[in-house]
Amino acid sequence: MTIWAMLSGIEGNLAAYEAVLADLKRQRTEIDELYILGDLVGATSESEDLVQRVRSPRRGEIEPQVCAGWWEEQCFILHGVSTQSEAPELIAKYGADTVKLLWDAVPHETVKWLRSLNFGFFELDSLLIHGSTVGVDDELTPKTSPVQMLDRLMRSDANNLFCGRSGLTFEYELHQGSVTVAVTTLDRQQEPIVNTVSPRRVIGVGNVGRSPGKATYTLYDPGINHVEFKTIRYGGTGFKVAQMARSAQGEHKPKNSRV
Amino acid sequence: MSGHGDPPPLWQYQFGRGEQEWEEQDWKKSFWCLTCKVVPNCPGNDYYSHCMANLPIIAVAGLLGSGKTHWISQQIVAASQSVLYCCPGSGNVPIDAHWIAAHFPQVKVVDEGQEMQHLIDLDPGTIAYVELGFHLDLATEFLAVLPCHKVAVLPPGYEDNELRNWADEVSESKLTPTQNSLDSQQLIRSPLEGEVIDPASLNIFWDELTQGAYGDVQRAKGIFDLVDGRSFHFDFVAQMTESKFTELPLPRWLDGRPQRFSGIEVGGNRLDSAAIAQTLQDCCLAEEMIAYYQEQIKAQPEEIPV
Amino acid sequence: MKMAVMSCIHGNYEALDSVLLDINQHHAEKIICLGDLVGYGPHPNAVVEMIRSLDIPTVQGCWDEDIVEGLNSCECSYPSMLAEKRGKAAHEWTNQNIQPETRSFLAELPLSLREDNLCFVHGSPHSQHEYLLPDVNAFLALERVLSTGADVLFCGHTHVPYVRSLNAGELRATVKQPGVEQESLSFAAPLKRIINVGSVGEPRHGRPNATYVLYDTETEEVTLREVQYDYQKTCAAIVEKGLPSIFAWRLAQGLEYAEKADDPTHVCER
Repeated sequence: MTIWAMLSGIEGNLAAYEAVLADLKRQRTEIDELYILGDLVGATSESEDLVQRVRSPRRGEIEPQVCAGWWEEQCFILHGVSTQSEAPELIAKYGADTVKLLWDAVPHETVKWLRSLNFGFFELDSLLIHGSTVGVDDELTPKTSPVQMLDRLMRSDANNLFCGRSGLTFEYELHQGSVTVAVTTLDRQQEPIVNTVSPRRVIGVGNVGRSPGKATYTLYDPGINHVEFKTIRYGGTGFKVAQMARSAQGEHKPKNSRV
Repeated sequence: MSGHGDPPPLWQYQFGRGEQEWEEQDWKKSFWCLTCKVVPNCPGNDYYSHCMANLPIIAVAGLLGSGKTHWISQQIVAASQSVLYCCPGSGNVPIDAHWIAAHFPQVKVVDEGQEMQHLIDLDPGTIAYVELGFHLDLATEFLAVLPCHKVAVLPPGYEDNELRNWADEVSESKLTPTQNSLDSQQLIRSPLEGEVIDPASLNIFWDELTQGAYGDVQRAKGIFDLVDGRSFHFDFVAQMTESKFTELPLPRWLDGRPQRFSGIEVGGNRLDSAAIAQTLQDCCLAEEMIAYYQEQIKAQPEEIPV
Repeated sequence: MKMAVMSCIHGNYEALDSVLLDINQHHAEKIICLGDLVGYGPHPNAVVEMIRSLDIPTVQGCWDEDIVEGLNSCECSYPSMLAEKRGKAAHEWTNQNIQPETRSFLAELPLSLREDNLCFVHGSPHSQHEYLLPDVNAFLALERVLSTGADVLFCGHTHVPYVRSLNAGELRATVKQPGVEQESLSFAAPLKRIINVGSVGEPRHGRPNATYVLYDTETEEVTLREVQYDYQKTCAAIVEKGLPSIFAWRLAQGLEYAEKADDPTHVCER
């Protein structure tokens, strides 16, 4: 059995990341691959520590595979290594002050490393990416239209698209579809043909660091095509209480408790 | 010595030996049949008639693209003895010779300019094929003095008297010549050793070449080293519907510029040699690109044969 | 109303002149142009001047954008190194030969036009560089039309004209979220169409003739028009003006000069 763990939206939240790593160690089945689908950094002073933590896993920890996300793209814009020259979205969403916060939080050397990250991963029949192949800012949510979801899957010819831009955990399954197509060219006229679509999914993998005290992430078994969403609470007494509750219920003992 | 339509004595072709150095037995030897080494009795005008059927030198001529190399390769496959091959007149672009060498490593392929020496000193039991390009004079000097069996590869019903009169044997080609192929005047050749070609660019160039973008091309052939390290043979004759592309059975070259033969030969009329040369150059990869792609290919896992 | 829609003139004044004559003969009341007025061909300024003088509504094409911005089109468009070199040579020549007023005109062109239930773009609603080929996945094609809110999407860019109808589109989905009740979704779309108007100046359908489309807004009838013109004049001008002479031969064969329409779903890194 192979298990992939997928995280996104850490946004420089080191405590959240540590909590997720600890939770991964507690899983019954060993995790084989760890993917971080963008938004590793954020406009927080912990971002640099987080990057170093990700780049240097401890003994016994899996080396994460990381792709770039929206926050990384804002860093690229600020440091002049993006195709865009301005960051209007950043200012619109978070205010002009955030520009300086982000500039101070992520040094140039780290931006160079972030620039070297993949845009996404294609593993087996799954695309793992921050937004979609359209861009890091392409936000797929449960409210996205079925046709648009299908378009994003078709662009990369994937059966599963794991994404993190929205920060939500969801499983959007397209069951069946059809459309009748006819083409006329200069030289011939084709009879109408019915085109169908096979079942495919878009999965939002959640976010680790956006909501203080609560992290969500996703486990996936490609062998049986099974998705499992995980929610953990961490930080101060919250994390300790949750662990004691689980111990009392006899679920499992934490191996390397940090509390 | 015989007086029947005397061919020039062979001693003239023994390099480094003058007439005075020959002794009587050498004179006798010089008129031995190359096959059986016995002084012949001449029943007629054919000097080596008793061994004519078993002459070890086969000269092959024919029209542009009539299939001379193909005919020779069929003989090589069927041959039980050692084979020698040469293609005089191919200059610095001996495409057919390299094609033969790649497909038949056991054949001894002789370089341009060394044909005479090897043909005179042919090992007993070896058969030699001499392919004559369409542009060569059929009365080429060494064929005039060396006994050989002459084969013309011609289309069915082709009435050229010169070739038919010259030949001892006619083999039927599958191709019918067009008037343009008969009138072909130009021959362009370019060695490309050391160049690595972008395959997609080569496809575009080859389509343009064979469809007339650079003149009326009747025949085109080439050996090219591609970016993935493979060596390919391209073959076009105007009467064929499609070109033939075959990979040569050579090891992949993935260490810098290839140090083996590649080149192109184009025959036809009103050929724009400058445009051909420029386009070919545009298909060649720069040094840094060669290094980049070779590293990429070497890093790929090897294909497991099925 | 009968309208004529054309695209991809690429500096081919002879072809444009013949097409306008044909449009006139078919009594079209309106003309719309889908861009790529310049690039590859020998008369970019004359073409733009003609479009301006006739006040033909025009969207900006990928070549128009490249000449304005000084960028080369997406490398993914070129099928080979040779094609890319030729494309760059054409870009250089065009850049050096267009007048300032031509460049200004191209810079002002909109990315799309809309008229009632009709939408007009150069490549696709998402990008001037995206090729909407006739065999692209049907749902992908449907998404392109739906994203405009129109019933008919006119496009160019591929240089091979076609009409593609997408009828009775339907899709079913379910959405699961932790702590939220499962939701069932269904989608249905009525008839939508993509009409690719081909190319006036650089046809790629195997013949040198110019192509464009006539559309009747009342009957919704589409006519793919193919117009013969004296392409040898354009070929002669290509050579005389110093453009790569291979362009003249390729035009006469009805082949692309360099770029080749390719899978639109590739990830463009530009």
